Amino acid sequence: MKGLFTSRIIRTERLSPSSHLVVFERPRGFPGAEPGQFVSLRITPTITPLLRRPFSIMDLTETELCLLVKVVGMGSEMLAHAPCGTGMDIAGPLGGSAFPSPGKKDAVFVAGGTGLAPMIFAARTWKRDGSLGRADLVYGAGCEEELLVSLCENDFTAVHAATIDGSCGFEGDAVSLLEKLIKGRKAGGGVLYSCGPSGMVRAIERKAAAAFSRHLTSLESVMACGVGACRGCTVPVRTDRGTVLKAICSDGTVFDASEIDWRRWEG
Amino acid sequence: MSRYKTETKIGAVTLRNPVLLASGPAGYGLEYEGLIDLRRIGGVVTKTISFEPREGNPGTRLHETGGGLLNSIGLENVGAEVFFSVKLPALADAGIKPVVSLAAEDWDGYRMLLEATAGIAGVDIVELNLSCPNVDRGGMAVGTNPDLLARYVRHAKGTLPGVTVLAKLTPNVADIAALALVAEEAGADGITAINTVVGMDLDMAAGRPVFKRVRAGLSGPAVMPMALDAVWRISRTVEIPVIGVGGITSVEDAMKFFMAGATAIQVGTAVFYDPGLPERIVDALEETGIPSGLED
Repeated sequence: MKGLFTSRIIRTERLSPSSHLVVFERPRGFPGAEPGQFVSLRITPTITPLLRRPFSIMDLTETELCLLVKVVGMGSEMLAHAPCGTGMDIAGPLGGSAFPSPGKKDAVFVAGGTGLAPMIFAARTWKRDGSLGRADLVYGAGCEEELLVSLCENDFTAVHAATIDGSCGFEGDAVSLLEKLIKGRKAGGGVLYSCGPSGMVRAIERKAAAAFSRHLTSLESVMACGVGACRGCTVPVRTDRGTVLKAICSDGTVFDASEIDWRRWEG
Repeated sequence: MSRYKTETKIGAVTLRNPVLLASGPAGYGLEYEGLIDLRRIGGVVTKTISFEPREGNPGTRLHETGGGLLNSIGLENVGAEVFFSVKLPALADAGIKPVVSLAAEDWDGYRMLLEATAGIAGVDIVELNLSCPNVDRGGMAVGTNPDLLARYVRHAKGTLPGVTVLAKLTPNVADIAALALVAEEAGADGITAINTVVGMDLDMAAGRPVFKRVRAGLSGPAVMPMALDAVWRISRTVEIPVIGVGGITSVEDAMKFFMAGATAIQVGTAVFYDPGLPERIVDALEETGIPSGLED
């Protein structure tokens, strides 16, 4: 059951020019969370920025709640540079669906930007409960200094990096690298997990999903309430009742990518 | 133990206290389970429903501005049948007081919605959303036209005998108080003011408007002075209670609305980032009493 908590930052680390690790003390009574769930933070008690900011949970231990913060605007800038000891109001865990474990199947994770956070949480959660077999991470960034490989190299069997400028690993984006890696692979094996910009997820579904038994994706969106009330973050999903709008915050964040009506969604 | 009584009468209904969640941000109420104790507040104005379900608007629906939030949700809702058979009973089971928000689409849809509402157990107060700026038909087009406004209010009063009817008005007019008077004369039991203020913004990277419909509805602290002014003027024009809504972000803001002439208040956008606010307003009212309105 979600709740409203207060906590404080106990550790921060600059991981790259734009990405920061922000670690909160796990609030007393904060429930367990599943991969793909998120928290929403009231970054400041003032009205600027006005809305809370949603962040995927990157890890949740007995004592810590870890978030991966990429500076994209005022809210993330303030959070990334908040000093240790800063108190914040945290709503969570939010999200009505989570990544199911791959069971006995191999797992391939594809992440773009802060889409890395739920991938790390999934790998760590399943490793902790012994349900993770082979786990490959395909991960793309603009350039070498934005790649956060050291953050997660112990979490996956192998990390396959791509950079747009070719400064490290494969030259190109994560989707192109994924296509290369699965070339010639038998269809329908393993489970594909993705999180990143909607254009990336859409391209993965179109170009690579057939090689896997399932493609599950954690979608990102601007949100206001974070609990499914305001209907500000909807995505069209095909169901047996036809296409219905589901809330990314409360029906998701995790969806079966094959059920998303990509033609209609402009997220 | 509260020191002051906060029960508030509006029309034929007595609310536990004069603090409500505003329609829209409140959803169907139960979404906030765990974050807000909705049993402590006066009630929840549920998401506006239409007779048929509505999918709402495509494209971007939310956009934060300086001190405000533009939205273009477009009255997405589950429709009357699901609302009355699923959403409303769940709210009642949870002990939460509903104020049912009804959309004025076209006349036929409105008529059917009122017929569907009539006689539903637990519906003793409704709010007519005559002021949504995010729909092509109905909405603000009704609330800005005195003749239509009177016709819609009169029809609600005629179809829902014994039900307290609030008319929610738009600030996007030259004189909101004059329209409040029209609603009062047509039989409204209370006026809710204000709905969102029409606004727009541009996506400079894309070189186009943020919203598909271009214009959207602005809420949040940026609109509070307008809302307060509307409540002040309306409460000096009509005899019926005024429910103040628009940009309340603190206990002090809520107190200002009572002093300006509101009988009750609604919290909308603020619950997105401060879900504890409605309860803190209730605490303050129980501690210090409901402020009296100012003399002219």
